[in-house]
Amino acid sequence: MTPTVFLVDDEEMVLTSIRAFLSLETDYRVATFADPEQAVDRLRTERADVIISDYLMPKMNGIQLLARAKELQPETPRVLLTGHADKQSAIQAINEVALFQYLEKPWDNAQLLLVIQAAIERANLYRDLRDKINELAMANSNLREIQTRLLKAFF
Amino acid sequence: MEAESEAATMATEKTPPCELDREEVERIRAKLVDASRMAALGGLMASIVHEINTPIGSILSNNEVMLRSLNAIEQKIAASPDADSPGLQKALSIIEMMRGLASVDKIACERISSVVRGLKTFSRADDGQPRETDLHEQISDTLKLVSCQYRQRIRVETDFGDLPPVECYPQLLNQVFLNVLVNAGQAIEGEGVVTVRTRREGEMVRVSISDTGHGIPPDRMAKIFQTGFTTKPVGVGTGLGLSISRQIIDKHRGRIEVESAEGAGTTFHILVPVRQQPPDRGAAGEGEPT
Ligand SMILES: Nc1ncnc2c1ncn2[C@@H]1O[C@H](COP(=O)(O)OP(=O)(O)OP(=O)(O)O)[C@@H](O)[C@H]1O
Ligand SMILES: [Mg+2]
Repeated sequence: MTPTVFLVDDEEMVLTSIRAFLSLETDYRVATFADPEQAVDRLRTERADVIISDYLMPKMNGIQLLARAKELQPETPRVLLTGHADKQSAIQAINEVALFQYLEKPWDNAQLLLVIQAAIERANLYRDLRDKINELAMANSNLREIQTRLLKAFF
Repeated sequence: MEAESEAATMATEKTPPCELDREEVERIRAKLVDASRMAALGGLMASIVHEINTPIGSILSNNEVMLRSLNAIEQKIAASPDADSPGLQKALSIIEMMRGLASVDKIACERISSVVRGLKTFSRADDGQPRETDLHEQISDTLKLVSCQYRQRIRVETDFGDLPPVECYPQLLNQVFLNVLVNAGQAIEGEGVVTVRTRREGEMVRVSISDTGHGIPPDRMAKIFQTGFTTKPVGVGTGLGLSISRQIIDKHRGRIEVESAEGAGTTFHILVPVRQQPPDRGAAGEGEPT
């Protein structure tokens, strides 16, 4: 399945630039949002493999957005891409929303790509792990059932 | 500027007329003016940096995508059966030209970017605690800033010694380097050289900034650190640079010294200890909140 990248920035130019770069270098689906609230709405219905957000935006800042993303899709890695030279907000973000990466503008495309790839890999691992746990739980309950039936048959 | 006059009135209103002498009043007033000036400057720089980084990021990224796309087109043309046709040959030469322009754009952007990186060091709010700093990195950032002002006129030479990490307030020290480097540039008429030399001296670090400028006459030496003393025309100097610098160096429990020969040049020595004692509350220039 093609990985989906969610990109949120109130500046259209950033969305355009990163979308162009990713479409040249990768076959990822890229969903872009200039309005963070729309991104939240979409997260309710569509799975994201990584979400990258600007920090300073009207309506909702990047940390608030990523906090909502964490509630809706906890296993999706969260990346903050900010032009705000503020260490304090970075530390806050890392603690509050379990940030996967913190990137500063102007960003380096090669580095951005590495971060996205690592994030997608991590999202996949998480999901695999969850599937395996579900399988185990399933197998476990099957065993229980057999056990009950055996017990019923013999006693 | 409004903040300055406000700070000034505040200081005079709060000072009972007789208990403090004139000099003391002047000293406190100067401190307030300097602190508000620095805070305003820091805030302004932070917002400029933020405003510039986003579009620069976009341009740099597009530039790279553009270069890669040109390569892809070029390969497609080269692989096509009629690659030798005059039409496609013309297309190839246009691609070559666009590639040239794109590389120039890239260099231009990187230059803007490096100036902004320099500004960023100044805009970061001091978190109230001194921290271990690579002074050479700070000096290099500051040099990037002034090099725009120096242009081809002034050559910068660096002679960096072996320095340990220095515990300090980096953005404040940068302010000192900037003030002294700007003065050095302003002292040179026509062409000249500015030299930055760093050495460790036991538990202190010495940064010496020399210029080949007009020098300072002996009778002026005593005045240069006074708040408001300037020999520069209105609009060029306000006479605050060195007085702010001295306060910052005091805060670090260091020293700032000057030697000068008229007509030959001036050297400012900035000495700061490698380690700071527990923070000295109430000294110059608390960082502004963001
Ligand atoms: N490198 C130097 N060479 C010669 N004179 C200097 C040098 N540095 C400082 N001075 C003298 O000391 C004065 C005070 O310097 P200071 O940096 O405090 O203020 P300024 O440069 O005049 O104004 P500001 O720094 O506020 O823009 C200067 O006006 C100048 O006369
Ligand atoms: Mg000056």
